Amino acid sequence: MNFVPRYLGRGSWLARRDPRLLVVGLVCFVFAAIQVWDIRLMLVLVAIAFAWYRSARIPFGEVRRLWVFAIAFVSLLVVMNGVIASGRVQQVPGDLVHLYGYLPVVGTPVSAESIVFAATQFLRFIAMIAMGFPLAFAIDPGAFGVTFARLGVPYRFAFAVDLTWRFIPSFAADFRTTIDAQRVRGLDLSPTGRNPIANLARQVPVVVPTVVNAITGAEDTIDAMDLRAFGTGKRTWLHELRFDRTDRIVLVAFAALLIGATIAAWTTSSALLWVPPFMIPG
Amino acid sequence: MTALTMNRSSLWSIDSRVIVYSAIGAALYGILVSAQLPVPGTTAVSIRPAFALVPFFGYAFGPIVGFFTGLVGNMIGDQISGWGALTSYNWSLANGVVGLLAGLGPLYIGRWVAGSSFANRATAAAVAGAIAVVIGFLLAFYDMIKDQLDFNAVLTTEYLPVVIVDVITTAVLVPALLYVWLPTAERTGR
Repeated sequence: MNFVPRYLGRGSWLARRDPRLLVVGLVCFVFAAIQVWDIRLMLVLVAIAFAWYRSARIPFGEVRRLWVFAIAFVSLLVVMNGVIASGRVQQVPGDLVHLYGYLPVVGTPVSAESIVFAATQFLRFIAMIAMGFPLAFAIDPGAFGVTFARLGVPYRFAFAVDLTWRFIPSFAADFRTTIDAQRVRGLDLSPTGRNPIANLARQVPVVVPTVVNAITGAEDTIDAMDLRAFGTGKRTWLHELRFDRTDRIVLVAFAALLIGATIAAWTTSSALLWVPPFMIPG
Repeated sequence: MTALTMNRSSLWSIDSRVIVYSAIGAALYGILVSAQLPVPGTTAVSIRPAFALVPFFGYAFGPIVGFFTGLVGNMIGDQISGWGALTSYNWSLANGVVGLLAGLGPLYIGRWVAGSSFANRATAAAVAGAIAVVIGFLLAFYDMIKDQLDFNAVLTTEYLPVVIVDVITTAVLVPALLYVWLPTAERTGR
């Protein structure tokens, strides 16, 4: 897996936006999506999410493995919840579901409501994941600190976020070097037995040197910050961020989405499960 | 100076040391969290050796470092894996709370660790980390509201498996990390 932050969306419409828009847009979208259970509205949110994702122009070949993982994990989560919940759909009383039958072996009831519930859950996760991708691939990695600082995060924490992104490539290289060094010494890191504790203990020769090396090397960075009197006054940033007209319009649209979803959840049936009529037997 | 010898007020101070250790913890956790060991006989449960970094950084460098390591590190790990930084934001918060609570460990087990051997202090860190895991991951039950998951589904597929494997990870790796780090810290005067 490539750990280094990659600016795959460089030059795209989304990458040209103020990076604060990507963060605020994602937050608004996630909190809007978690209030929606009507699958028709969820499909609208999925369309918005993929339009957003498409505007980042992230090459699919570069993120194919990430999509495979995400879809597999969401599928597993939705199926496991469906099986373990024993057909109970929280928003619908048990005597009001339209039962199709029972799963073999486990005996879980399968109803029109439980299928729609699982489908809505699946779509919601996929929409949130599609919205989240541009945050990693369409923001200049050097702009993370100023992005959070200009969003009101205290500058010390914003600087820590910036520093985190800058540490990732070098720590990833150190991690690979440590693995190679231990393998040269004959260490086999692959899990061998069925004992998880023994398998975990086998990771100690890799994890401990990587972590301790990173910490002992921190003094240089700390000294550099102290010598520049970090923390003694208001800090300025190399990048200047400014919302343009398009950014403002999109920002208002995301705010309207969140406000609209919240009002609709209280006043309409958007927060309730909707079962297509063709799925209701006889 | 590490949090192991700090008083109450200095636990919450934010200086360059706290910022750098926070960033190191989050970066390491974000990178290493993708390395997972599957647990035989289960479908969705795997051991993440990197999780030990959350209680370790909390216990060794204080609650702010622990919180940042858990919160930001988990978000980065989720983002790198394709899951999305905010898709499961309550889990990132849970990781942060684990680091925060582990960072408070030296306060509530201070008498045990003060002046004792490296082995005792490492064991104390494992105990503090385990307590933090059990409490911190209660935030997983927010999935019942956020994703309308069933209580039994959250309990059996999320909370219990995660708590069990993360307590094991904490018990095995946190003492190992501290056992190496404490002498280094004392030797170099940190």
